[in-house]
Amino acid sequence: MSAKISAKTLRRLIVIGLIALWELLPQTGLIPELFLPSLSSTLMAGWTDAAEYGHALAVTLYEVLISMAFACGGGILLGAIVGSLPRPRVLIMPMVSSLYAVPLVILYPVFTVWLGIGSESKIAFASIYGFLPTMLATAAGIQTIDPQLLLAARSMGATLSQRLVRVIIPAAIPTVLSGLRVGGALVIVGVVVSEMLISSAGIGYLISRYRTILDSPHVFAGVLLVLFMAIAFNAAIRWIERKAAIWQTGTRAGQANDDIASGAMQPAT
Amino acid sequence: MQPLANVTPLKPPARAGAIEVKNVGQVFKTRSQDVVALEDVSLDIKPGRFVVLVGPSGCGKSTLLMMMAGLRQQTSGSITISGAPILQPDPDRVGVVFQEASLFPWLTAEDNVEFPLALRGVPKAERRAKAQDALTLVGLDGFGKRHPHELSGGMKQRVSIARGLVQDPPVLLMDEPFAALDEQTRMTMGDELLRIWAATGKTVVFVTHSLTEAVYLADEVIVMSARPGRIVDHLQVQLPRPRTYEMLSGDAFGSLRDRIWRHIRKSA
Repeated sequence: MSAKISAKTLRRLIVIGLIALWELLPQTGLIPELFLPSLSSTLMAGWTDAAEYGHALAVTLYEVLISMAFACGGGILLGAIVGSLPRPRVLIMPMVSSLYAVPLVILYPVFTVWLGIGSESKIAFASIYGFLPTMLATAAGIQTIDPQLLLAARSMGATLSQRLVRVIIPAAIPTVLSGLRVGGALVIVGVVVSEMLISSAGIGYLISRYRTILDSPHVFAGVLLVLFMAIAFNAAIRWIERKAAIWQTGTRAGQANDDIASGAMQPAT
Repeated sequence: MQPLANVTPLKPPARAGAIEVKNVGQVFKTRSQDVVALEDVSLDIKPGRFVVLVGPSGCGKSTLLMMMAGLRQQTSGSITISGAPILQPDPDRVGVVFQEASLFPWLTAEDNVEFPLALRGVPKAERRAKAQDALTLVGLDGFGKRHPHELSGGMKQRVSIARGLVQDPPVLLMDEPFAALDEQTRMTMGDELLRIWAATGKTVVFVTHSLTEAVYLADEVIVMSARPGRIVDHLQVQLPRPRTYEMLSGDAFGSLRDRIWRHIRKSA
């Protein structure tokens, strides 16, 4: 227990140290402000143009939320169908798995042709980007349910709908949540990246625009906002996990899920 | 209305807890051939008996148990429990205890025990009271709030016995319930099961691989052979109850176990 607490303290100290370095290195002139503007000048830049950043954040959040609804809703629904019925699984799974390996960002220019450079193309792209891992995780979660549990439920007289609500859904929750964690993170990536590529609004757009005029403090202010968004999302998922999946604490499966999920989270944040 | 005490009922009273298996057969159809899993199995189990099914792997003892539970349909023949045919799972008549891991890991022990009651919409207070009684019966008083991963293997199996008993069915079917437990826990659980059985008077049908366990627990041991699954012997175990550890090394115990072993060696 004491080792755990000290690890946590250590982690906090590292973060505080990095923040201090961020402020001190540019201030002392060891790193030019162009490459790394100090924390204070970044915050200052954000503060002076708060209205602009606020508007961009609203656009990005709107796109992220809609995309998440599509990605998670669609991913869970289709994953449930594919996971529970063998025929669609044989048809769809190989396609989805190979699609997952393709860098989907190459499709984004096509989306802008179809849907324009407004929010619609970002939502379409980010939804598909986040949909795949959610669907794959849900399908896996349902496929790997212990058949003994379903047999036991049947022996107690559970109907099909009771088995779905009382056994299949709760049993699949941990895997689905780890899929949501990856899928949701990819939605944020998808929205910001597509805003940076071809766009007229949003945080990604601001970052990209300020970069072209070499205004580093404003670029970093945008980066900070994306960072906070990702941290908030991670905290939200953790909260849901604690609420919904108490039972998986202490099981090997649960810990493994957590490790894999937080590992997969790294490139996104 | 006043009950008419002296009128004999027209129909004989339902034999609560009696199990009749008549000419039951099971054929699995595969692409190339039909596999006969069970052939002409007939059994008559009296209420309150402790009956153990043993036999080599693939003799269909678990299949037969699943049929008694209504979880699988036989190809031919009939199975009646408490006087009525069993066509689908009926937790009022039959409780089932599986090997390991059939507890729902996201529910506490008492929620697991309440599960069959919750399925039928029994009110919360009544559910809780019945689950409490069942947990007390299996010796798990005070462990109701724990999740399965916080319980030992033996305790988990006690919870699933409590779940099988919570609706007070006259018959308890057990499919190798102690197979995943270590030797000491297994012995303790055997004694515990006999205590629970004596306290409740249930008919128990118990499937196992262990010949020692079979003779130690049973009133009757039914020995089955493999491919096709058939009953090859039906032994009455006349050892006095309560059974004790010392009986394991006695001559009577040894000769019963040898007799079962000879059957199994022949068919395996």
